Amino acid sequence: MNDSQVSVFIEGEIIDLVPLNSKNINLYVKWENKPNVRIYSRNIIPNTVEDMKKFFEPSKDRRMKREINFEVWHKKDKKSIGYGAVDDIDWYGQKGWLGLVIGEPEYWGQKIGEEATRLIIEYAFNELNLYKIYAGINSVNIGSWRCAEKNGFTRESIFKKDMYVNGKYYDTYVYSLFKEDWLENKK
Amino acid sequence: MEEKEKEESKDNGIEVFPFIKGERIDLVAENIKWVDLFCKWKNDPEVRRYSRNNWPRTIEEIKKWSEPSPRGQIKEFIDLTIFHKADKRPIGIIGFGHINWVSRNANIFAMIGESEYWGKGIVGEASKLVIEYGFNELNFHKIYAGIYTPNERSLRVAEKLGFKKETILKEAQYVDGQYLDIHKFALFKRDWIKSKEK
Repeated sequence: MNDSQVSVFIEGEIIDLVPLNSKNINLYVKWENKPNVRIYSRNIIPNTVEDMKKFFEPSKDRRMKREINFEVWHKKDKKSIGYGAVDDIDWYGQKGWLGLVIGEPEYWGQKIGEEATRLIIEYAFNELNLYKIYAGINSVNIGSWRCAEKNGFTRESIFKKDMYVNGKYYDTYVYSLFKEDWLENKK
Repeated sequence: MEEKEKEESKDNGIEVFPFIKGERIDLVAENIKWVDLFCKWKNDPEVRRYSRNNWPRTIEEIKKWSEPSPRGQIKEFIDLTIFHKADKRPIGIIGFGHINWVSRNANIFAMIGESEYWGKGIVGEASKLVIEYGFNELNFHKIYAGIYTPNERSLRVAEKLGFKKETILKEAQYVDGQYLDIHKFALFKRDWIKSKEK
């Protein structure tokens, strides 16, 4: 992927958030299907290239999308390493769910997830004018909760035995972050 | 008690569904069966003068406008029919247009289609109900109203409701052979709440 073709949407330090790129569909399919990645992103159905193409179909509701997707672009290594989203957006109620998948395991544990999360939160509060963000995290996905908690999320609720993964039911922790608390934390 | 309620809610066999209840009027869900009335109102020269209808609207166009949007699509406008309770008939339309859900603002519009109901404070009553709905339920930050200079009645209603003039778009609308100024009024949620506390 030639970096001159990347249009930065939100600039970060180690990573940028950029629009999805249809040329990277095979990467997305790889991440969606990869066992060690999908175990926490709750994917139990195989994804095909055709399935992924639907993200690039123009939506009927051009102005108000219910989910907003980004690719996570590693600036130094000049490659796409994952994707993030503000999902299930309730425009009337000003709420949404934050999602993030770092698809390349060599980039785990390096605060990249933390930075991507921070950038998406800032975007959701500052640009989309949401007042509350949720994140649903698998109880076993310690890396993700640390990332959420470092960004000010607090555990609000539990969906018990919510996900069946590898023969067991796992709880999903529902984390939330209010804009007013995020503003307080920034001071 | 239930029987009486049922009777009151039928207008010539058309069932009426109040969404917001008022004193003389209720704001009810639009019914496609009223499309002939909407057509009459939107074309009526007296009514359309200040509602910027420059060409005829056909019934088909109006039907299309009232079609439900695809499930889950975020609304850009919200229309309610003004229903006169005692006379058991729809008399106008009120609602919000140009809704900006991120910036939490919208334009209020109102039209009384049946002229015998003009000058009776009905627009004021309907506006109060819909403004309360806009701030209390839709959580708008700001409501706009665009009014043309010669429309004295609307200017008075807006001021009485607490709207403040924010700007004038000079000679911005061509009506009946003249360029009219559009007065942009605005009302903030915080001011609406304050005015209710008094």
